[in-house]
Amino acid sequence: MFHTVKQRFRDMRTITALCSGAEKLANADGQKEPATEHLVLSALELPDGTARKAFERVHADSNGFRAAIARQYEDALQNIGISLAPDTAIEDEPIAVAEGKGLFKSQASFSSVMQTLYEVKNEEQKTDSAAPLLGAHVLLAATSAQYGVAMRALRAMGVDPAKLAEAARAEIAASRMAQP
Amino acid sequence: MVKLKLLPSADDPAEALAAVVALRLMAEKLEIAAVKAALEQGWSWSQIAEALGVSKQAAHKRLANSLSKPRSE
Repeated sequence: MFHTVKQRFRDMRTITALCSGAEKLANADGQKEPATEHLVLSALELPDGTARKAFERVHADSNGFRAAIARQYEDALQNIGISLAPDTAIEDEPIAVAEGKGLFKSQASFSSVMQTLYEVKNEEQKTDSAAPLLGAHVLLAATSAQYGVAMRALRAMGVDPAKLAEAARAEIAASRMAQP
Repeated sequence: MVKLKLLPSADDPAEALAAVVALRLMAEKLEIAAVKAALEQGWSWSQIAEALGVSKQAAHKRLANSLSKPRSE
């Protein structure tokens, strides 16, 4: 019981880190509110390292995810005949916006992933109430989407979201096995 | 007025919608950069609003907070 309560507090800290990290990344990229792609980037920065390891399991470099986000924007524009010159690429134009004030606000895709994350964790807690919230859980929740910037970025990296979800599940299982 | 026949094909909704998202982001970034430049050149919020075709209140509400104290990476 004590372990469960302690773990819930740790998970709350993880969620705070995920949200504030995602918001910072979005603001630094000129977006007022974070979306799924910023949540994934934030998950990659979590100290548990499971999100990064999940990428490694599918032989992908998680450091390339940020560039893949920019690339999928460029691809999307190119598909309608708009070609960006290399020196005007979206990723090369970091127009930072001021940090959000007051209540945390996010884009719809972010809220949707957080809801899925809650459901994933709720399901897991039926069998393991003390299992910590990991970056891999975020990947698992994020890859439940079919469309959107994050999924397009993964595909631009040559990563199949379904395979990344499998890798995230494997990382979660490995982490549970490694627990004392 | 943009002629509809000049718009790209929307036969592939996934690609067309992804392009809409990219265009929206590009427009937002361009708007922030342009308003920032205008303010630095001494434009008033009334002038900016007029150029954007929105009310002064709407322009200020939507953009002022984004421009103050940008985060550093």
